[in-house]
Amino acid sequence: MNRNTSWFLTVALAVSGLCLPSTASAQVALEVMNPRGEIPPPKTLGISARGGNLDGKKIVLIDNGKYGASNFLDALADKLKQKYPGATIVMDPKPAAQTITDLPKWYPTIKQQGDLFVFGVGD
Amino acid sequence: MPGVYFTTTEFLDDAKSAAKDRGMPGIRTIALPADKYYVARGNKQEVQPIVDQFFDKVVDDLTRPLTAEEAKPSQIQLLHEDANIKVTGKDFIEASQKVNEMFLDSRWADGLPIVPPTPELVKAMEAGTKRSPDEVLGHVAPKAGTATVEKIAVNAVMAGARPEYFPVILAAMDGFLNKHYDLTHVVASTGSFTPVVIVDGPIAKELNFNSGIGMLGIGWQANSTVGRALELSLLNLGQTWPQVNFMGLTGRFEAYTFYTFAEDTAKSPWEPYNVSQGFQAGDSTVTVSSAGNPSVYGGGAVAPWTAQGVIDQMIGQIKNRGVAWPHAQKHIIVLHPDCAVELAKHGYTRKSLQEYFYEQTRVPFERLTNQVSFGEGSEADFIRASVEDGRIRPEHAQIFLDNLKPGGRIPVVQSPDDFHIVVAGGSPGYDLVFTYPGTNWAHETVKITGATQTQAGR
Repeated sequence: MNRNTSWFLTVALAVSGLCLPSTASAQVALEVMNPRGEIPPPKTLGISARGGNLDGKKIVLIDNGKYGASNFLDALADKLKQKYPGATIVMDPKPAAQTITDLPKWYPTIKQQGDLFVFGVGD
Repeated sequence: MPGVYFTTTEFLDDAKSAAKDRGMPGIRTIALPADKYYVARGNKQEVQPIVDQFFDKVVDDLTRPLTAEEAKPSQIQLLHEDANIKVTGKDFIEASQKVNEMFLDSRWADGLPIVPPTPELVKAMEAGTKRSPDEVLGHVAPKAGTATVEKIAVNAVMAGARPEYFPVILAAMDGFLNKHYDLTHVVASTGSFTPVVIVDGPIAKELNFNSGIGMLGIGWQANSTVGRALELSLLNLGQTWPQVNFMGLTGRFEAYTFYTFAEDTAKSPWEPYNVSQGFQAGDSTVTVSSAGNPSVYGGGAVAPWTAQGVIDQMIGQIKNRGVAWPHAQKHIIVLHPDCAVELAKHGYTRKSLQEYFYEQTRVPFERLTNQVSFGEGSEADFIRASVEDGRIRPEHAQIFLDNLKPGGRIPVVQSPDDFHIVVAGGSPGYDLVFTYPGTNWAHETVKITGATQTQAGR
């Protein structure tokens, strides 16, 4: 018996040997372990309060750098200016090659620039 | 700060999953129709109708008062995943089939049959290492699932791995969970990046890893099941799933086993790869590295080739890709033994070959573009910013800065060491280049320790 045959037999016997007779029926029970790990829960936060309308507000449009997002946000900016002339539109592209781990350093600069933000387009 | 997040319908589940992972399940998200947006996005006029369609929704989401749940959502609870599961059937075959169906329905399996991870088989797997079952190796992205030795053992059993492989699997997981390794990218990205797993040193022969003809193919239990154990561990401990939060658009080409092979140290004309990474000759190691699918070079069994011609072809293609993310880019160059021996006859050492690649792939300043791949700004600006913020390490910075001028030649990587040269393959054979265009570091070599059932890796 080679090494591979031996291991496969070990697995087969170990599994089949654990098929325990179940109650009075002829059924067998197989006990298995969960392959997932526990996930420490993050602190859950609500989103920021909002209300009123857009007049007089500074709206920061954040381009996430994905192809075409600038076209989408440019078109959105035009429409916001047309419908809400009292609002100020600030275009702020995400810095090139910022990564998830770098982003927290960048968030405060968004807050300094406006009252509201739109971020897109995510994929 | 109130805001609205745009995504597309294909990525809505991904966005919701990520928001919950980071503790803000209530983020207001608008999903644009994927079948319309991706076609229209290249042109402002063409994308305008989509903006018009969703404009009122944007305004509403920016101004509508919060619901009570949005303002103060219920605290996300700890997920307990420890309970064993009992499955019944009229016989072993039916019970085993039910385990397989239940695991796949729960997204705990990959679509191929699994070995049911009974407590006894998991214990046998754990006996392959001296490490404690309770040891925590780290937390697996994207959901930060806790990776214990025991949980990895469960996944190794499911994959069909043998206990003597377990120290290799654990060392590879140590590599993925190194704090410098960007695991999120390889487990979630649309680019379908795939881990390359290279086993080096005497344990490779002892465990019968294939490093010759068919090294990436079927038939070698060590290659196949070590790779699959890692695949299942990342799937289950990070809790990813295709179309939900693993968004690889094509899926990985080596989805079930990753690119898992051993270096052929016996036929290599140079010191083992792991020695070039600072380990001692005779150490057994495993290298994990995120990469794209390989490009293939050489003539194999059907066409003429020269060793110099092979490496010059590689250099030409790497250079043609230009400068993108030089702070993080790397290339794994797998030379089949005949090619490596020919290069050695021409006087190349691994070190001098790395330097040759580094010098010959440098890109003329005039070829830098005015637009980086993601975000705003030119490639030159991006390189300067990478020097300023330290992503290009200080010891490598000057050569980048000195060459950002007409006549300059910009390196495509930080250092010659970012060309990783490994010897493996058949005779005849082909030669491979795995390139990683990621934005963060994703390459670790780890010494295999704690083995109980092999002479090497103890």
